[in-house]
Amino acid sequence: MSSGTFVIHQDQIDRINAAMLRLLKKGEAKCALLVDKDGHLITRQGFTQTLDTTAMSALLAGSFASTREIARLVGEPEFSVLFHQGQRDHIHISLVGDRSILAIVFDDRTTIGMVRLYAREAADRIKELLSATSDEPTALDPDFTRSAAAKIDSMFTE
Amino acid sequence: MVSINYAFREISCKIVYYGPGLSGKTTNLQYVHGRMPAKSRGDLISLATEADRTLYFDFLPIHVGDIGGFATKFQLYTVPGQVFYNATRKLVLRGVDGIVFVADSQAAKMDENIESLANMYENLRENEIDSDQIPLVFQYNKRDLPDVVSLDELEKTLNPSGRPCTEACAVDGLGVFDTMKRITKLVLEDTKRRTSAASPTPAGPSAPPVVAAALAGGSTSESATAVAAAKSAIASRHGWEEKEGASVSVALSDAPVTSGPFPRRDIVASDGPAAASAPASGASPIVMAQQRSTRVRHRHRSIWDRLFGWLSGR
Repeated sequence: MSSGTFVIHQDQIDRINAAMLRLLKKGEAKCALLVDKDGHLITRQGFTQTLDTTAMSALLAGSFASTREIARLVGEPEFSVLFHQGQRDHIHISLVGDRSILAIVFDDRTTIGMVRLYAREAADRIKELLSATSDEPTALDPDFTRSAAAKIDSMFTE
Repeated sequence: MVSINYAFREISCKIVYYGPGLSGKTTNLQYVHGRMPAKSRGDLISLATEADRTLYFDFLPIHVGDIGGFATKFQLYTVPGQVFYNATRKLVLRGVDGIVFVADSQAAKMDENIESLANMYENLRENEIDSDQIPLVFQYNKRDLPDVVSLDELEKTLNPSGRPCTEACAVDGLGVFDTMKRITKLVLEDTKRRTSAASPTPAGPSAPPVVAAALAGGSTSESATAVAAAKSAIASRHGWEEKEGASVSVALSDAPVTSGPFPRRDIVASDGPAAASAPASGASPIVMAQQRSTRVRHRHRSIWDRLFGWLSGR
């Protein structure tokens, strides 16, 4: 990690998406989100059109962060898996490496065991792919700051 | 931390509104949510108690649009201001890219402002975030109410290092967008700086907060001057006497205090039973509020030390 930036490149995303698709297919889940621990969405696969993935990412990160503190209070370094059971849909959340969270939404067409099995496999693969990241961002456009100022000035006006 | 996704051509930054309870953090987000076009913002999510007090955080995503070929997004969070929610405040601060400190301008709320600011610096430290480098904007809210502290005194007390500040009346929207403009520009400038390999790292968007430096035991003349100014301002407001020559040096970790006017066990809170002696000790109220969180822990240790000594003696 360099100076507080999380960088992800196209080739990594392509490979991560492939791993997530495989997970969805084999585990017969509805969709999967990969989120960093600060609540930014990294990528998503499956039927996510009806989901507010931005809000969900923030809430997943918040949920995981608070669960980690609970783990610490009971003397565990971390709870690596969370499972929320609903009436129709359920969600399986697992830690991927030390920086990301994989959330899988599934229903009664599959089982928690199947999802868990393939989630673990996918998490290992994604962890490997993420660890290959350099985190060295390419320099932004030289005019970035000026463009940003103009855009912000026009946006936040009464 | 800033997330740069080259696959989606997205930059995503996290901004946290920090401050004491009821200072207007959630109101800021509600106003932004209410005034921005729906295509430029997401839903406002509030994890609140039944009494509408923030329990965990409020969350509002803002889509600024294309900047330099990247779809730029800001994720606005608030923290719960109430003192006993510190664990959640610390969690929300994790990965923050910019902070708005929302202070309540009312004179009666100054101690809460000071305590919250000290708590913010401590939580940044515990999250290993450099408070000298993080973009920070002060918003002095509730300027429309009677009995507010002057801007000059607020600046001296809370913002001696001169970070950008705005005056606001968030409930009417005054100053809310101005604050947004300032913090978002600072965050994007900071992002640009980080990604620019060619440019050497400057000292940040503005001078480092010297109160934080003082809290960390910093002894630069700038920090000493600023802390003295804060101390003087708050002491005069309370009618306290200042003691000449007292130095400010506080260790926040468990490391032993090596200098300073008093050992840690003598630390007193400004609103505690020994409050009258506190100002005379020479420490700024911000430093003293910081010390308060270590006081209880230290007292417990002291009891155990005595018990251990008694048992050893037997």
